[in-house]
Amino acid sequence: MMNNNPKNLSSTKLFLLNFSRKKLGVICLILVSAIYLIGIFAPLLAPYDYSETNLLKTQSGPDLENLLGTDRLGRDILSRVIWGIQTTVIVTITGLLTGSLFLGLFLGLLAGYYRGIFDFVVMRTGELVSSFPDILLIILLAATLRPRITNIFYSIEDNLNISGLVSSGIIDYLVIGIALLPLSWFGTMRLIRAQVFSIRNVDYVQSARTSGASTFRIVTRHVLPNVIAPLIVTATFGLGAVALSEVILSFFGLGVQPPRPSLGAMLADVSGRGGSSVSVLTSHPEQLLSPIIIIWIMIFCWNIIGDALTDILNPRKN
Amino acid sequence: MISKLKFYIFTLIILFIFSCSSDEVTEVNTSMSKSSNVAPGLMQGEKDYSKPAENIFRINFSDPPTFDPHLVTDTTSASIIVEIFSGLVTLNKKLEIVPDLAESWNVSDDGKTYTFTLRDGIKFSNGDEVTAEDFKWSIERAANPDTGSYNADVYLGDIIGIKEVIESSGAVKEVSGVTVIDKKTLEIKIDAPKTYFLAKLTYPTAFVLSKKYVESQGEDWIDSPVGTGPFILQEYQIGQILKLKRNDLYWSEKSKVDGVVMNLAGGVSMAMYENDEIDITGVGLADLERVKDPNDPLSKDLVDVPPQFTISYIGFNVNTPPFDDLNFRKALTHAVDKELIAEKIYSGLTKLANTIIPPGFPGYSPSVQGLKFDAELAKRYLAESKYSDPSSRPRIIMTIPGTGGSPGLDTEVISDMWKETLGVEVEIQQVEWATYLQDMNRKRLQVWAGSGWQADYPDPQDFIDVLFHSESDVNHGNYINPAVDKLILEARTEIDENRRFLLYNEAEQKVVDDAAILPLWFDTDGYALVKPWVKGYEFTSIIVPKYKDLYIE
Amino acid sequence: MLNYILRRIFWMPILLLLVSLIVFFLGVYGPGDPVEVQLGNNFDEQSANRIREKMGLNDPFFIQWANYIGNALTGDFRESYVFKNRSVSELLLPKLIVSAKLNLISFGIALAVGIPLGFYAAINYGNPKDPLVVIFALIFYAMPVFFTAPFLILIFALQLDLVPVSGWGGIFDKRIILPALTIGIPGAAVFVRLIRSSMIEVLDTDYIKLARAKGVSENMVLWKHAFRNALLPVVTIMGFSLAGLFGGSLIVELLFGIPGIGRISLDSVYSRDYPVIMAIVLIGSSALVIANLIIDFVYTLIDPRIGME
Repeated sequence: MMNNNPKNLSSTKLFLLNFSRKKLGVICLILVSAIYLIGIFAPLLAPYDYSETNLLKTQSGPDLENLLGTDRLGRDILSRVIWGIQTTVIVTITGLLTGSLFLGLFLGLLAGYYRGIFDFVVMRTGELVSSFPDILLIILLAATLRPRITNIFYSIEDNLNISGLVSSGIIDYLVIGIALLPLSWFGTMRLIRAQVFSIRNVDYVQSARTSGASTFRIVTRHVLPNVIAPLIVTATFGLGAVALSEVILSFFGLGVQPPRPSLGAMLADVSGRGGSSVSVLTSHPEQLLSPIIIIWIMIFCWNIIGDALTDILNPRKN
Repeated sequence: MISKLKFYIFTLIILFIFSCSSDEVTEVNTSMSKSSNVAPGLMQGEKDYSKPAENIFRINFSDPPTFDPHLVTDTTSASIIVEIFSGLVTLNKKLEIVPDLAESWNVSDDGKTYTFTLRDGIKFSNGDEVTAEDFKWSIERAANPDTGSYNADVYLGDIIGIKEVIESSGAVKEVSGVTVIDKKTLEIKIDAPKTYFLAKLTYPTAFVLSKKYVESQGEDWIDSPVGTGPFILQEYQIGQILKLKRNDLYWSEKSKVDGVVMNLAGGVSMAMYENDEIDITGVGLADLERVKDPNDPLSKDLVDVPPQFTISYIGFNVNTPPFDDLNFRKALTHAVDKELIAEKIYSGLTKLANTIIPPGFPGYSPSVQGLKFDAELAKRYLAESKYSDPSSRPRIIMTIPGTGGSPGLDTEVISDMWKETLGVEVEIQQVEWATYLQDMNRKRLQVWAGSGWQADYPDPQDFIDVLFHSESDVNHGNYINPAVDKLILEARTEIDENRRFLLYNEAEQKVVDDAAILPLWFDTDGYALVKPWVKGYEFTSIIVPKYKDLYIE
Repeated sequence: MLNYILRRIFWMPILLLLVSLIVFFLGVYGPGDPVEVQLGNNFDEQSANRIREKMGLNDPFFIQWANYIGNALTGDFRESYVFKNRSVSELLLPKLIVSAKLNLISFGIALAVGIPLGFYAAINYGNPKDPLVVIFALIFYAMPVFFTAPFLILIFALQLDLVPVSGWGGIFDKRIILPALTIGIPGAAVFVRLIRSSMIEVLDTDYIKLARAKGVSENMVLWKHAFRNALLPVVTIMGFSLAGLFGGSLIVELLFGIPGIGRISLDSVYSRDYPVIMAIVLIGSSALVIANLIIDFVYTLIDPRIGME
């Protein structure tokens, strides 16, 4: 379905031009960029500290001091949303880098290029991993992994006599990253592998090989440029999925740890894990809606962008 | 092993998360950290339901893990089992030990031999007569490792010969300390004079099963259990419904309702109540404001639930720095403004605790003085402690059980209070429940929150001895004070009740002064809604049969 | 072809064995212990060990695993650690049925809403109606369930008073409507996009162009030729959805109080109820693997041009 005509990427300008024609795509790209920038600059933008409680002003509605009001502990919701976005940003980016880009691309290229036993092993592993019921596996992994990883980090800190490693939240990101890993790489890997298969026997690759070009050169010069387009598309769709998975994990208390906020943990705070959030929706809608709208926008936008990219990069529809 | 308490966890997963519905009224008090199901304004829904047509009491419940009294470890199962089965003695609603199937008993002068006389004509629900032989057989069954009981040694371990059975892996079957004198007389010998032995017999592990019935039915007996309680299990479908019906062969006054129907399928309890689908529900924090409003029709149904005898606290491991320093612990304790938290976060639902034994509980004494909130004093103690300099202070990791319920709202506020008042920074580590338990049992946690103790039976020993004796398994903070140990040991063998309680109070005062734990709440003052046609429903603080005395009007 | 199917069938049991091995590994070497969860405060190392011994939890890892597999092969999935003396199959079967019913209805909603809308968008390709449908579909697709559930309850149960709030009463009970919508609406959005893009692609093929050029009526072209071919990718998704039929929608089940498999899955992880975890994973994995196999098979039936790898 995905056609890889190198002409399409031959000109970045053409690509940009095409993309700029997708009005909604552009709007979404701006929105997502804005959200990501907010996340990155959270320390500068957030008016309050995310864990600063104020019991004299709990559950207050929006006002000038707290633009989105305060939660049950009197913490500023706006600040918590902003810091929560940072969590999402970190998790999606690390998820993307490790899962889709590194493992997916790398293994896909190798499997597609070398085939044989390597391909067999990678494919069977992928099938194995993808045949787990996903949410259950994520929860099981997060539940069993975290204590192990935490202990490792504490001992690292103690041995090196440093601190701040654990409190930086790195464990949370690592756990979430690892827990999501099995789910994120196989799709990309299969896609890349199929792409490599299809161009492996294309004339210019063949001739490059016969003319004695090194494998590395063939892969980077001829194979890689051809797989970038589909890679971008899957990665775009993947970002939304990773963001949502983090929300769900944190909702169940297995993702980001308190007091560090995450959009999922905020949802859990207001609705009570397993409880219903109906009364919050009527009495303090800002508490529930603030994190939800961000999640909503992000997933919506990533999908619109993904669609736009598919349209542009797939010449059949032009 | 002395611990006879039920370990009590606010965020007990099985009960809470898995049934958003399970605002069982028995659990109503724990709703402080379980944000409850909420559906404001939902009413006049379908009117297919209303006052029950039959003489039936309807309630939301969750699936009981077992009906076998000898296997029970959880409160959900226990609260159904006490309706179906019974034992020699039981607790009445005033928490006194009263005769049940045993009409009377004698204790020998050395306090080590109990002779029980059974009532005349008591029958199992299938009509079989209850004999002393059934009791002996039941105790032996509970102890037999093949039965798989988790707590036979806790509740029956004082009986002579029981340990041999438990540890024999099936080879030894007979408990030497239990003798059938005749059909109506049972003699039980225990290893030392222990005043609390009778109280242990009120727990389901000591309940009687029909030897004849269980042996003839094999493993399937539990599908239609035969017992001596006020009700019979009529129907049970996993995840759907559980029906109890009146046991007409019950020895005492028979149940006034024909039966009890428990919805196990879940649902928003509050809304179901308003829809007249159930007759009773707990009220969560989010609904409290609404139902307390006198203009709301529901406010008429509002019932104050007596507090459960529970204390929740923050535990310190006094072996590990910085909690090995008394001044540091005191500083932390004085820095927490519980009153503010209770009012602002729990809407006044909870009663703050500065001491350990809950008010209203036997042995409670107002003369025990707790460490109250005092920011200045807190700062002074911190300055006096050897960890006054932040750089000399080791990392502090507060562990909370993280799944299955909101992490206690209070934890984050308290850590913030420490930071604001004292500049003490705490890392909160949320671990999943099974891991939390494992680390706590191994006494590996440095400081922890999110759990508490609930009394199983009324004796201050439940709190003081179990939590703070240096050799207690559940003294998770490694608290050791020889003076406290001495008082506790003295209390164990003291026969005069008043003196015994005074000993416990003295120990309690020492524990509080040592800031061994940071007491937070004596549980919540819960609220429940009860339909006007339900009469005679009594809330109890411990698990006892409670459906037989209510009636539908 | 036959060769391929045979290979897959041969691979399936190996896959399931490996799946069980991994879950077992996580269970045995992960933190947390079922006996301790059960003992609660009554924990003491000695009795815990005795019970572990009795349950075979002290056996070497591979022996435990082999024992489990041996039992499972004879259809014995053991007894739950938490729900004592209750076999796992007895415990899970009713919950599986509940989840399957809910998912089936949701799936029906997704298909019934998604396919016509996707079709509508595709035949309007190039005019504003198409992006409008797509955007709406995406809005619903991206709507987090944490919002959908309380929102639906608020509107349909509280304001309009049309349905009860939550709980479960089977397929013909009103209470199924809201959770089914919660799952079905994003599902419908998936089908809209799927059908739309697949239709557009098919309409663009030479084969359809030829039919049009030949003067075949537009209705005929759309329905007989294009639509049928466009359904192809739907088969794939359908297969996966059916495989997911027995996997509960965890969050929806929690929010609506439905006694399905999702809740007991989470429950079993928390309480380390390994027999239950294992059974759920094995059921889920088998369903996925079988669904994959069927999809491949159906694909070749519908479209013989597609070769197998």
